[in-house]
Amino acid sequence: MTNLMILPIVLPLIASALVAFFPNKLNIVRPVSMILSVIFTIISAYLTWYVFSNGTIVMQSGGWDAPFGISIVADPLSMLLVTTTYIVSTAAVFYAPSSLDEQQERFYFYTFFFLLVSGVAGAFMTGDLFNLFVFFEVLLIASYGLIILGNGKVQLRESLKYVLFNLFSSMLFVISVAFIYAITGTVNFAQLAERIESVDQQGILTTVGIVLFFVFAVKAAVFPLYYWLPNSYAVPNPVVSALFGALLTKVGIYSIMRVFTLIFVHDTGITHQIFLWLAVLTMVFGVIGALSTNNVKLIITYNIIPAIGFILMGIGLYTETSLAGSVYYLMHDMVIKGALFFLIGALVVAAGTSDLRKMSGVIQKFPLLGWLFFIASLVLAGIPPFSGFIGKLLLLQGGLQQEEFLVVIIALLSSLLILFSMMRIFIRGFWGEVQEGITTNRKKVRNLTIPAAILVSISVFLGIGAEAVYPHIETIANMLMDRTEYIDSVLKE
Amino acid sequence: MIFAIFAPLIIAILIPFLSRWKEKVHTGWLILPVPVAVFIYFVQFAGPNFEPQAYSVDWIPSLDISLSFYLDGLSLLFALLISGIGALVVFYSIYYLNNKEQLGHFYTYLYIFMFAMLGVVLSDNVFVLYTFWEFTSISSFLLIGYWHHRQKSRYGALKSMLITVFGGLSLLGGLILLTIVTGTTSIREMVSQSDVILESSYLPLILTFLLLGAFTKSAQFPFHIWLPDAMEAPTPVSAYLHSATMVKAGIYLMARFSPIFAGEPNFFIFLSLFGIVTLAWGSFMAVRQTDLKGILAYSTISQLGMIMAMLGFGTEIALFAAVFHILNHATFKGSLFMVAGIVDHETGTRDIRNLGGLMTFMPISATLALFGTFSMAGVPLPFLNGFFSKEMFFEATLANAGYGGFSDFLVILIPILAVVGSIFTFVYSMYLFFGTFRGEYQKEKVPQEPHEAPKLMLLAPFILVIGVITIALFPGFFNQGLITHAADAVTGAENNRDIYFWHGLVPAFYMSIAVVVVGALLYIFKPKWDGVYRVFPGTLSFNRVYDWGVEKLETGSNAITSRYMTGSLRLYMALLLSAIFLITTTVLILTGGANFEVNDVAPITTVEVIVAIIMTVAAVATIFTHNRIGMILVVGVIGFGLAILFVLYRAPDLALTQLIVETVTVTLFMLCFYHLPNLEKAKQSITHKTINIAISSGVGLLMMVIGISAYNSRSFDSISDYFIENSSELGGGYNAVNVILVDFRGIDTLFEVAVLFGAALGIYAMIKLRRDKGAK
Repeated sequence: MTNLMILPIVLPLIASALVAFFPNKLNIVRPVSMILSVIFTIISAYLTWYVFSNGTIVMQSGGWDAPFGISIVADPLSMLLVTTTYIVSTAAVFYAPSSLDEQQERFYFYTFFFLLVSGVAGAFMTGDLFNLFVFFEVLLIASYGLIILGNGKVQLRESLKYVLFNLFSSMLFVISVAFIYAITGTVNFAQLAERIESVDQQGILTTVGIVLFFVFAVKAAVFPLYYWLPNSYAVPNPVVSALFGALLTKVGIYSIMRVFTLIFVHDTGITHQIFLWLAVLTMVFGVIGALSTNNVKLIITYNIIPAIGFILMGIGLYTETSLAGSVYYLMHDMVIKGALFFLIGALVVAAGTSDLRKMSGVIQKFPLLGWLFFIASLVLAGIPPFSGFIGKLLLLQGGLQQEEFLVVIIALLSSLLILFSMMRIFIRGFWGEVQEGITTNRKKVRNLTIPAAILVSISVFLGIGAEAVYPHIETIANMLMDRTEYIDSVLKE
Repeated sequence: MIFAIFAPLIIAILIPFLSRWKEKVHTGWLILPVPVAVFIYFVQFAGPNFEPQAYSVDWIPSLDISLSFYLDGLSLLFALLISGIGALVVFYSIYYLNNKEQLGHFYTYLYIFMFAMLGVVLSDNVFVLYTFWEFTSISSFLLIGYWHHRQKSRYGALKSMLITVFGGLSLLGGLILLTIVTGTTSIREMVSQSDVILESSYLPLILTFLLLGAFTKSAQFPFHIWLPDAMEAPTPVSAYLHSATMVKAGIYLMARFSPIFAGEPNFFIFLSLFGIVTLAWGSFMAVRQTDLKGILAYSTISQLGMIMAMLGFGTEIALFAAVFHILNHATFKGSLFMVAGIVDHETGTRDIRNLGGLMTFMPISATLALFGTFSMAGVPLPFLNGFFSKEMFFEATLANAGYGGFSDFLVILIPILAVVGSIFTFVYSMYLFFGTFRGEYQKEKVPQEPHEAPKLMLLAPFILVIGVITIALFPGFFNQGLITHAADAVTGAENNRDIYFWHGLVPAFYMSIAVVVVGALLYIFKPKWDGVYRVFPGTLSFNRVYDWGVEKLETGSNAITSRYMTGSLRLYMALLLSAIFLITTTVLILTGGANFEVNDVAPITTVEVIVAIIMTVAAVATIFTHNRIGMILVVGVIGFGLAILFVLYRAPDLALTQLIVETVTVTLFMLCFYHLPNLEKAKQSITHKTINIAISSGVGLLMMVIGISAYNSRSFDSISDYFIENSSELGGGYNAVNVILVDFRGIDTLFEVAVLFGAALGIYAMIKLRRDKGAK
């Protein structure tokens, strides 16, 4: 079983290389990609179930025991996120043929897609700081490939910013790994945790930790480091935006969560307090961004940012409840962001424009799309009994237990404004008289709506059926607060 | 019980499937039995021997969220209103809404609301209560926006949603605090721990949160502005949600928590003050309305204020009168809304200035309205239930005791505002009735020839008016069966109050008489004084605050966002770096982590110095070079300098790699850049340049300090020793670096290869796609 834990990382890599050989045979590549995605999802779901019932499994790659080799750590948190990644990406594969034009598909969409999944899964599962850097590179190179699909002028302009900012953060990443290695002489998460604990995170370590935080914060789109995000996510094809919105920023916030619950936890008065402030600013500025535009794709893109704020808030509060909230919110946000980008893609196809001022009455022609969007908006805003509520409830509880009243009040107000930003789309785009120029290609819109419907259903289930999921999240939060299981399973096997 | 609550939801889900038969039968007929059955189910519980019922199912036990329902007198009163008025409204809507409308949508929303509202009043678990609470807001939003092709409907829907969801979120905050303080999610257990709550230091915050929730939902001043705009909904909805049930959710909440907070001075002050001001303001504003539903909306606001104020008084008589008035208000206001809908339906207008003299055309509607308006006005007649509760209200306003300070002043203010509010209530009630049904019939202003509504359409308001009369004539029956139990639930003690018409010549009676006399005079001379409304800008000012706020949210957000999201890479980088610099420096100083010792650093040789100087000069030169080729060459110098440094530090393999990389990139860049135009010199002010220089040198210095401090803080053996020791023995290779790359850390290498693979494909795709496009 131990060695199988590498499957979620390696399988998509193989698939990626495989589909690269037949870029022009879409009749083969499409169904193969779909089938493989489904199979991978089932495999990773099984592995996740196995880890949930048997505890963390660590694969020491090449048989080199930690800390000398690279540890692939399948702990419940990683596996939960890996499976969520697979679910969202499978939905994306089914969405892609209707969303992309054939030429874009031919230019290695499926190759980059699998490469991206491989990189994301690897980033979630690795137990090694430098290896995390490598997986970041993998998912970034795949995302570069995806963002330029289609070669539009605007796309190239925005992708340049995207590439430059990510290069900068990669550079900073290497520098901070060097700093950390200089001080501690290791890059293994578990050993880092042990060693930094043994010197009580003295001296320069907290500062280096903050530099590392900024590396991840650029990727996670924390205030004030997200300038690259809004346009570069809104410009590409919706299926690419969905993958980015659902997965990429989440890798960043996951890394913050991992590093600042496992390694740098001995000066929370400084580090986690900073997170809390930044979380508040992230929520505020993100939601302000979402209200600032009439471009529906941009509205959804900006809504990525306050969600990151919510998750960061839980990390900043650093209690069991708040971390459970962060993990729940993280999982929920991956699913719902995927769904929302899918829906917006369908809306843009249906309305023939992404300008909110030009669309109206879409729900009268596409009721399913309209209602799915409505429910997804409620999910996003954290209205019970949907998935967003559970995470938000835990975060608010955590905040109030810590007496962070201002943070809680701002979180509540952001929820209201998130709902407002979504209702603007619903009221102006879906309600009203049927606009001119609405598409007649009902089949295409339907094909775009179905994958979204599946993700929305999952979100609804994650809320109503929270009892099936929450106990596992609670376990994860327990493990994040009590680091011994992670450290022991990596170092003492 | 759970089935009774969920039945409307189940039907709501089934309605879209029922619409298949809608060609033949109005959907309303098919689903009417549901609220009737629910009403019958709940009415069984009513009676002198009522005992509270509890029922519970697990939902999310690990979060302490369970579907636990508790039916006490208060819940029973509300459940009967919800199902009873619900049934009447559905019945009425069959005649009000045409078969051509999207009935499926209408009834789906309506039944989701019915379900949610039953849930609100029956939940014992605070989070379940909150869930249902938000669902009432959402279904209200959908119902107000039912005719969403109208701009005003969309406006009203958004407004109600923003304000009520704002309150909902605030409520959530309050409920979470309550669970933290008491350690339970059950309202009943919270009530039993009321002293813990009252002594908690969170009390002010809890109260603020809960009051905001209740005030927004129940349209209390100054949050009342959403209710008049909610009148865009079809009239059955206004009668049901926006008068009889949903707007009373805030009242319900305060009544439910009354056993905890009654006697708490701030609770008294805020509830009484906002309630009594709402009463006066709402009734004052109602007089100036011209739309029938507008009058009724402000009237509802005012009546809700009255009930809210009574909950604030917290005395036994006030609480009793509050629950009594909840029932009475639902009967007379429901019937009035339905009559207003009939008038609208039959004449095509709701503007009272165009109406008048309808008595002759619509005698039955007029009679129904007569009972409704006079009951609302509190005219002292023994068959009008409105008078009974109004009289009790006056009695209650005189029975308050202050807690010192402002509350003493409030005790004096309450009866005055109560009388003022009631006078205006009297005025608009008279205006509503006489303005519509008496006076001159204005033929040219009425779009349709008026005639009496179908008999069955009149049945629903007729039943409500029967309710008005029977409650007044047989108060004891309703009292013992229902009202006493509801009052018990609110006061948390046994109530033994009798309801009777004649109280004797008590002060409350004089207040009633004064209201009638002054009210009648004011009504008669209304044209003489209604100029005051031109002096008052009116609630419009609060509407303006809302409109201004919403508009500012959009324009302001746009202004803020476009200020920094300019698309300028240079600005983004400057902002990003300064944020990193400021925060990291602060942390560095706070933790005292700087350890800038150079004693331990390796000695610096002359060669190194020379190379370093060359590199620095080259780096600075890049900034001043405006020729792309020149720039590449200068950057190349830095790269080759680095390679020399690697040689000096005895890392020949790194030096080789660096040399190859540098050569290849310089050559490639030269090839590409040959095709590009010369660089434009960026125009920037000196200030900008200075700031940018400061930021970049700041970040550079910071990194140096951290680097040297990190070097000085080495506290552990590096794992690299292991690699060097074991590379040949365990890894089978003499070059440790190679063994690390291909064995110890093979995964890194594997995936770096994958990165190259991705990069190659990406470039290939980009070039090919471009060429294909060019070929077309």
